[in-house]
Amino acid sequence: MAKIVLGSEPVVGSLTPSRKREYRVTNRLQEGKRPLYAVVFNFIDSRYFNVFATVGGNRVTVYQCLEGGVIAVLQSYIDEDKDESFYSVSWACNIDGAPFVIAGGINGIIRVIDAGNEKIHKSFVGHGDSINEIRTQPLKPSLIVSASKDESVRLWNAQTGICILIFAGAGGHRNEVLSVDFHPSDIYRIASCGMDNTVKIWSMIEFWTYVEKSFTWTDLPSKFPTKYVQFPVFIASVHSNYVDCNRWLGDFVLSKSVDNEIVLWEPKMKEQSPGEGTVDILQKYPVPECDIWFIKFSCDFHYQSVAIGNREGKIYVWELQSSPPVLTARLSHTQSKSPIRQTAMSFDGSTILCCCEDGTIWRWDAVEVSSS
Amino acid sequence: MASKAASASASASRSEPPEDPPPARTSETVPFAKEIVSVIDAIKEQVAADRCTYVKKKIAENKRKLVGVTTHVYNLSRQRRNDQCTDNVTDNNVDLLAKRQADALGMQIGIESSNADKESNSNNEEGHTSTAVLLGSSIPVKNAVRPIKLPEIKRLPPYTTWIFLDRNQRMTEDQSVLGRRRIYYDQNGGEALICSDSEEEAIDDEEEKREFTESEDYILRMTIKKAGLSDPVLEAVANCLSRSPSEVKARYDILVKDEKAVGGTKTEDNEETSQTMNSFLDKDLEAALDSFDNLFCRRCLVFDCRLHGCSQDLVFPTEKQLPWSHPDEGKVPCGPNCYRSAVKSEKAAMCGNIGEKSTPTANGPKVQKMPKKKSSGSSSRIQLKSCQSESASSNAKNASESSDSDVGPGDDTSAQLSSPSKTKVTDKSGIHKRNSKRVAERVLFNMRKRQKKIAPSDSDSIASGNILVSDIKLRSNSQKENEEASSSSQKKVKSATRGRPRKKIVPVEESSNLVQDDVPDGPRHEVINDNPAASTNDSLRKEEFIDENTSKRELNEDKSWKPLEKGLYEKGLEIFGRNSCLIARNLLTGLKTCWEVFQYMNFSENKLLGQGVDGSNCLGEGFSKFDYNGNVGNNEARRRSRFLRRRGRVRRLKYTWKSAAYHSIRKRITERKDQPCRQYNPCNCQTACGKQCSCLLNGTCCEKYCGCPKSCKNRFRGCHCAKSQCRSRQCPCFAADRECDPDVCRNCWVSCGDGTLGVPNQRGDNYECRNMKLLLKQQQRVLLGRSDVSGWGAFLKNTVGKHEYLGEYTGELISHREADKRGKIYDRENSSFLFNLNDQFVLDAYRKGDKLKFANHSPDPNCYAKVIMVAGDHRVGIFAKERIEAGEELFYDYRYEPDRAPAWARKPEASGAKKEDGAPSTGRAKKLA
Repeated sequence: MAKIVLGSEPVVGSLTPSRKREYRVTNRLQEGKRPLYAVVFNFIDSRYFNVFATVGGNRVTVYQCLEGGVIAVLQSYIDEDKDESFYSVSWACNIDGAPFVIAGGINGIIRVIDAGNEKIHKSFVGHGDSINEIRTQPLKPSLIVSASKDESVRLWNAQTGICILIFAGAGGHRNEVLSVDFHPSDIYRIASCGMDNTVKIWSMIEFWTYVEKSFTWTDLPSKFPTKYVQFPVFIASVHSNYVDCNRWLGDFVLSKSVDNEIVLWEPKMKEQSPGEGTVDILQKYPVPECDIWFIKFSCDFHYQSVAIGNREGKIYVWELQSSPPVLTARLSHTQSKSPIRQTAMSFDGSTILCCCEDGTIWRWDAVEVSSS
Repeated sequence: MASKAASASASASRSEPPEDPPPARTSETVPFAKEIVSVIDAIKEQVAADRCTYVKKKIAENKRKLVGVTTHVYNLSRQRRNDQCTDNVTDNNVDLLAKRQADALGMQIGIESSNADKESNSNNEEGHTSTAVLLGSSIPVKNAVRPIKLPEIKRLPPYTTWIFLDRNQRMTEDQSVLGRRRIYYDQNGGEALICSDSEEEAIDDEEEKREFTESEDYILRMTIKKAGLSDPVLEAVANCLSRSPSEVKARYDILVKDEKAVGGTKTEDNEETSQTMNSFLDKDLEAALDSFDNLFCRRCLVFDCRLHGCSQDLVFPTEKQLPWSHPDEGKVPCGPNCYRSAVKSEKAAMCGNIGEKSTPTANGPKVQKMPKKKSSGSSSRIQLKSCQSESASSNAKNASESSDSDVGPGDDTSAQLSSPSKTKVTDKSGIHKRNSKRVAERVLFNMRKRQKKIAPSDSDSIASGNILVSDIKLRSNSQKENEEASSSSQKKVKSATRGRPRKKIVPVEESSNLVQDDVPDGPRHEVINDNPAASTNDSLRKEEFIDENTSKRELNEDKSWKPLEKGLYEKGLEIFGRNSCLIARNLLTGLKTCWEVFQYMNFSENKLLGQGVDGSNCLGEGFSKFDYNGNVGNNEARRRSRFLRRRGRVRRLKYTWKSAAYHSIRKRITERKDQPCRQYNPCNCQTACGKQCSCLLNGTCCEKYCGCPKSCKNRFRGCHCAKSQCRSRQCPCFAADRECDPDVCRNCWVSCGDGTLGVPNQRGDNYECRNMKLLLKQQQRVLLGRSDVSGWGAFLKNTVGKHEYLGEYTGELISHREADKRGKIYDRENSSFLFNLNDQFVLDAYRKGDKLKFANHSPDPNCYAKVIMVAGDHRVGIFAKERIEAGEELFYDYRYEPDRAPAWARKPEASGAKKEDGAPSTGRAKKLA
């Protein structure tokens, strides 16, 4: 845990809502009995900006947000293995732009579903334990990265089914990896965090030839020379407990542990000595009653705001890029009591979805504030 | 740090130099504590405000960058849409997602989809299962689709991502849970286990010395500026920064000093950086070797050895190796700058040059006469020399006498020597060494003369005078010139060059040429000398023959040798003896040529001689320590003292097994039931090991890595087996659970078998040592697969016989203490790869290891594990207990101690327990070999 020294204190946001934007519940949907662990909008293809996917149990469902709070089911997939419990879902596409839904969970198998053809495209077997998060490279959306309980992060080519890189080993995580994210502009960079309380930033620049090779690989995927990336370029000890979600905000990192707050910090790397460096904690976004692990936050497309649920079923919406941070709104509903595992913000942030432990999906829509 | 920079610049603009507050004023008006506090608070607020602005700036900056990024990504997504749309048109490839989207939208708007659409969808929409129910929404939406099944895929048995190791490795630092609490949540019970001791960590934290940050400096400076420098102020500041007042005071002094220095240093910075480029060349070799000693592992012969750690105790063997002698010593020049080839090429050049040279050919005959007289003269000179030992001089006399017989060839050479500036020695091999030495002398004289002559080039009076000097005079000259003539001639040359720069180049070139040409004879002989035992005498003699002028002259050249180069040269002498080719090639590549090394070699030896005479400054550089056996006596003393110094820095494992309650964790063990083996650490005894020997105290044998001589009583002697192939307990190595070592055992050796490496020919399979399989990595191919029992299993690819070595169980070497910490977690997960290695270490194959870690436990196994000492290290070998067929799964008994073995590893209920356990993976608790 990084010590806070005089003169480098973070700017902490106030919990008084600014009410710049207000939301109200427009829909609630009970998907099933099993907890829903992930919900995510499609930001890959502008046709599908209003399409989102959820996972829970052995089920992957694709919905569409329509006007007036309507949610329409578009597709639904069920893993024949009843014991499967999906933990994460992400949108991707093949090089032609056909949409993929990619899900992974307790079985450690990554399911790549070709949503355009409504059938399984490929299944990636390789992780030694459950998959905690899957993310897609926004600049090359057929590249996905997965974080697993087997202490590794793996980079896959969803198109060809190749496991390109494994981020683990001598400098790797020492416990389950809970979250991973691609840098928005630096295509070589990812950040991962997990139960070893650290956030690790990795660079694949030296291995980029393998990434390129993966697109043209015609032999069996198992014959691909998968490489290990054993040493991260930066290890940050920002938290003193499980770090269960991290996202890039430009060159800064947003991460959260079970300390009722999201932390925005800047990794300051030392050029000469990789792996070392300091963390400058810039801002903190308090989130009350958010002290259990596996609660993930989400941002809108332009990173204007972040939404996160808590243990009590409330949602906090923060203006991400103002200093000091401004709480846009605190969303609560009398019937919403179950822990919110993940939220999803639509492209412009006007719709917020959340999926709960009790298997419900809530839709919140921004309402016009009569500003005088 | 940008934040620091920001506050620093802010402070710079705001504050004047801190010397301003006059000390007198502070003593007069000591502000009240309250005031001080308020001042500090104000400054603190200022700092906080600065921080806010800084963060704001940072975030605004980041925001600006992000806008571009997201816009770009947005454009990509737009593009994808467009691509897809055109694709759809051309390929008539229906995107079902888009279609469903349109359908849903259509339904909501209430527009009936076309008949055709209905038909195409009818299949899908028939038998709708309502998968979602809308609640709390007034708008009814038809939102049911038939779920699509994802075919089941068998999951892998769980495992943690691991790295393949072909040899054991020490635990890497950050792998430890130190400094960070590792919390383990039991999945079922929700129980939280803290697997690191917080007390230790607290101590570690406090040991860290907190550096003053910029903002703290700023507060300090500003407070003192505003409130003056006095004890209460300091105290208040200290209080505010939660430090001690003395600390704060010291820091303030530093700050004041820094500020004063700031002005001057700016410009120097640049120079410094440029200097650092060459700094490593200026460093002493000892300093450079420091990293070598730290990073090079003597036992594994690699840098940055992961097994023994990077800060091993330095051990200096008592027995020195003889300098390495090159097998095909001799004729082939080592490169374009080899003294040999230099000679050859110049010979060729000479033919053309002779006529053109301005030097009168009369020089030739004169010098030609020298050799005979000189030889006699030189011996007499030596007798006169008081500083020589009697024996040495008599040796020299003999030498010079014998050399007289060689005059014939000597004359030949001298004839060539006399040729203008380039001296040639036609046939080196034919010339006796002493002769050539004398030739060298002569050339030097000659050269000196020429220098004199050339320096005042217009008037050749001095030159001719020199030429006319009688031989005997020359002899006496040799000493006189030591002090005056040669050096002064040098000086003359130098002064002359100052006066007449144009002339300068000629003498210098010539003289160097001369030296180049005359010396080459030396090394040949000297190299030869290194082989016979008489080397000491010879070299001593040699030195005597070499005119001291040489050393004087070369002294100047020698200035260009950097300390590092000198150090490397010394090392080279230790390793290769007096072989300039090898030294230059192997140690001074790119720095010095063979020729330069050779020159320097002669020079440094001369200097040794001249030690008493001139005691010049370069003696201080450590050359006097050099003795001609290739040993560096004084060096060693120096190094050892360094070793003592280092001891404090050696990173030792923090914990010993004694302090750990290590009986609580399951660890695999081997068949041997007695005490665990003891970890071997080389001792540093310089004589035969006595009671103080660390090996003896530790209860281990001395090994080849110890410092003690081979005669040490505590050494393991190896075996003398021949026919038995070291495969039974009759072999002392085998009986002691050791592998044979080709360096120690008499009949165990490694070769390609065809005799090319100078080892005896293979004597047939019957004699070959079979007890070196771990060392030679002669393992079987092991396959990884789904076990028939549980989780993963290891399988054998080929059939092997009984007692065959299958492979090594590799892993991380961790202390017992660390093993206990990890074991807590592993036992809970019922998946442990711990293996007891010896009294200090446990092998953990959890994250690093090889496929054999997946071999399962069985009470009736087909394999067994054995800890074997291989070249000083304990390693775990897995051996076949019986004949094993290809494709069979491998099992061995983990030998967990009964009271802590998991259910599946307990002896009696062996068969049943295993399955009901359903443990995901193979290893559990610490295995014992």
